[in-house]
Amino acid sequence: MKAELDTLIDSYLDGSISAPDMRRLNQRLNQDVEARRAFTEMLNLDSALAALAAGHVPVRVETPVFRPFRWKSRAAALAACLALAALVWWWQQPGPAFATVEKAAGIADFAEHRALRGERHSIRAGSVSLLTERGARIVIEAPAEFWFESGQRLHLKRGRLAAEVPPPAKGFTVITPSGDAVDLGTRFGVDVPVAGAAEVHVFQGEVIARPTGDAARRSLRGGDAVSLDQGASTARELRSAAFIQLDEMRELSAGLDAGQRARSEAALAGLRQDPALITLLDFETPDSASLPGVFRSVQGRWPGSHAPEFVEVGDHLKLDAGGGRDWPQLTLAAWVRLDRLGEPYQSLLHTDGWESSNPGQVHWMITHHATMRLALRGNTLAAGFENPGGNPDSLTPVLPEQGRWVHLAAVYDAPGRTVRFHLNGRLDREVRLDVAHPARLGPAQIGNWNRNDRRLSGRVDELILLGRAMSEAELRELHAAGSPYR
Amino acid sequence: MNSSADTERHHRFLRRFTAHEPAIRAHVRRLVPSRADADDVMQEVSVVLWDKFDTFEEGGDFRAWAFGVARFEVLAWMRDRGRDRLVLDEEAVARIAEEASADEPRLQRQREALEQCMQKVPAAQRGLLMLAYQEGASIQEVARDSGRSVAGFYQWLHRMRRLLLDCIRRSLFNEEAAS
Repeated sequence: MKAELDTLIDSYLDGSISAPDMRRLNQRLNQDVEARRAFTEMLNLDSALAALAAGHVPVRVETPVFRPFRWKSRAAALAACLALAALVWWWQQPGPAFATVEKAAGIADFAEHRALRGERHSIRAGSVSLLTERGARIVIEAPAEFWFESGQRLHLKRGRLAAEVPPPAKGFTVITPSGDAVDLGTRFGVDVPVAGAAEVHVFQGEVIARPTGDAARRSLRGGDAVSLDQGASTARELRSAAFIQLDEMRELSAGLDAGQRARSEAALAGLRQDPALITLLDFETPDSASLPGVFRSVQGRWPGSHAPEFVEVGDHLKLDAGGGRDWPQLTLAAWVRLDRLGEPYQSLLHTDGWESSNPGQVHWMITHHATMRLALRGNTLAAGFENPGGNPDSLTPVLPEQGRWVHLAAVYDAPGRTVRFHLNGRLDREVRLDVAHPARLGPAQIGNWNRNDRRLSGRVDELILLGRAMSEAELRELHAAGSPYR
Repeated sequence: MNSSADTERHHRFLRRFTAHEPAIRAHVRRLVPSRADADDVMQEVSVVLWDKFDTFEEGGDFRAWAFGVARFEVLAWMRDRGRDRLVLDEEAVARIAEEASADEPRLQRQREALEQCMQKVPAAQRGLLMLAYQEGASIQEVARDSGRSVAGFYQWLHRMRRLLLDCIRRSLFNEEAAS
C-alpha cells in the first residue's frame, strides 16, 4: 500500500499521472491521514527545493554523473515510455487558435501556419514570429517558455519577446512571473531572463507595466524601460536592439535556409588552422564557454548557439591571450549586437596593462560617435590624420538604426604604420600613424575596463585575435561567411 | 485616504507579505499539481491579499488569513483552469489545507532542514538537482545534458526526493529528541 502511494505521488509530481491513478490518489488522500501527511511532506519538500534552486547559481554540467543504467524489466521500460509520452504536458485542446506561426528560424516544431492554442511551448533554440487572432505580431527568441491564455493574453515564463500591436489588438497583455505589460497600441519588448527581474521596453506608443503584487501601475512611453522586481517597477535604460523584430526574423530565416551556418562553421574551421591565430572565442567550445566574468549567456547568431550579453554596469568577460610577446601585425574582429550607445566608450577589448611604460597595449572600443577606435598605447597619428582624441577612429558609425548583428574588424600593421577599419567586411578607412609600436596583449577585459567607466551594452559573438594583418578580401569573405542574414 | 497613508499601508502590507511569502507559496504548492501552477495561483493570491488588506485586522494572524485566501484562490483556479487537469478533488484540498495549516510550524522546520540535508548529497548530483528545480527548467533538457534518458532521470529524481525527505524527517526527529 505504501509503495502504491509513493508511485502515485511520484507520477503526480512528474505531471504524468493518469486519470484513474489521480482518482485513486484522491481516494487514498481522503481516506488516510497518514497518506495525506506523506503527500504534504513530499510537496512541501518540492517547494523547498524550488526555493533553494531560486537562490542557486547554476553551473554547467560538464560530465554525466550517472552510472550506466539498465532497465530491470521490460515492464519498467514500457512504463517509463508511457510516462515519457504522458509527461509531454502540453496538451492540445480543441477550440479556436489564439495565434498562428508566421515564420520560424531554427525551430523545427513551428511549421508555418501552425495554430497555437493554450498548450505550453518550450523552445531552446531559434526564434519564431506569431500572429495573434487580432493581428498582434510577436517575435519570441529562445530559450523561452510561453503559452497563450487567450488571443490577447500571453504568458512568458522566460525568454525574450518583441510585440507590434495594431489598434484592434489594443490591450494585448504579456504576463511574466514578476509582472504584466498591457499594451495600448504600440511596439514593445519584454525580456524574462533565467535569473533576475523581467524587463519591459517600449519602442513606440504606450504600455502599462504592472508589477506582481503591486496595485500601482506605471505608464511607459516610447523610449521608456523598467525592471519588474519584487512588486515594484524600476526605471532602466532602453535596450531596443536586444529584441529580434519581424524584419530581422525574415532575414535570419533566409540566412539559415541558405546554409549560412555551415558556411560560417567552415570559415571558422579554416581560421583555427591559421598558424597566426591567437584566440578565437566562439562561446561554444569549453575553452571559450568557461571564461571568467559576469554576463548573461544568451543566444548567439545561430539557433541554439551561445553568446555573452553584457547588460548591467560592470558586466564583463576576462581573457588572457597573446601575452609575453610583441605582435607587429594584429587583426581584431567580432560579431557584435549593440543595444544602445552611451557612456563615453563601449569596450570591445581592453588590455589591463595600459601604462605609459608599456607601449603597444591595445584598446579596441566604440566611441560615443558610434565609430570604432583602435588605440595603442604610445602611438601617434600621422600628419593629416589628427583628431581631438589623438586615436585612430573609423569614419562610419557602426550602430544601425535597428538592432542587428554587425561585423567589426580592426587591422593593425606596425611596420606599415596603418590601422584599417572594416565594417561588415567593407573597408571603411585607413588611418596612417607616425609612431607605431608593436601590439601587446595579455590579460584583458571584454565589455568593460575596470579603471574607467567603460562598458558594452549588447552581445558579442565570435571574437577573433589574429597575429597578422588580414586583407580586405579575407575580411569580406569572413563577413560573408559568418553573416546570419540573407 | 491620503497618499502618504496609502504608502504607509502599502509598506505595512509588504512587510507582512514578504515575511510570509515562502510559507504561503509552500501552502499553495501543496495543493496544486505543478510549481508553474503554484506561480499562477500566487499571482492571484498576492493581488487579492493586497486588495483585501483593509479587511485584515491589525494584530491578527497574517499567515492564517493568507492561507485562507490561498485555499480559496486554489479552488477558484481549479474551477477555471484545472477542470480538465488532473488535480486534487475539493475534499482532498480541504483536508490537506486544514491539516497543513495546523502543521505549518513543523512543515516550515522541514523546509529549513533541506539545506543541511543537501550538503550530504555529492556536489555533482546536488548541482543537477538544482538545475532540475530552476524556474522554467525543462526536465528533458536537464536529463539530456546530464547524459541520461528522461525516464531514467525521473526515476533518479524520485530516489533523490525520497532520500532527502528521509534525511529531513530524521534530522527533525533528532532535533526533537535532543531538546
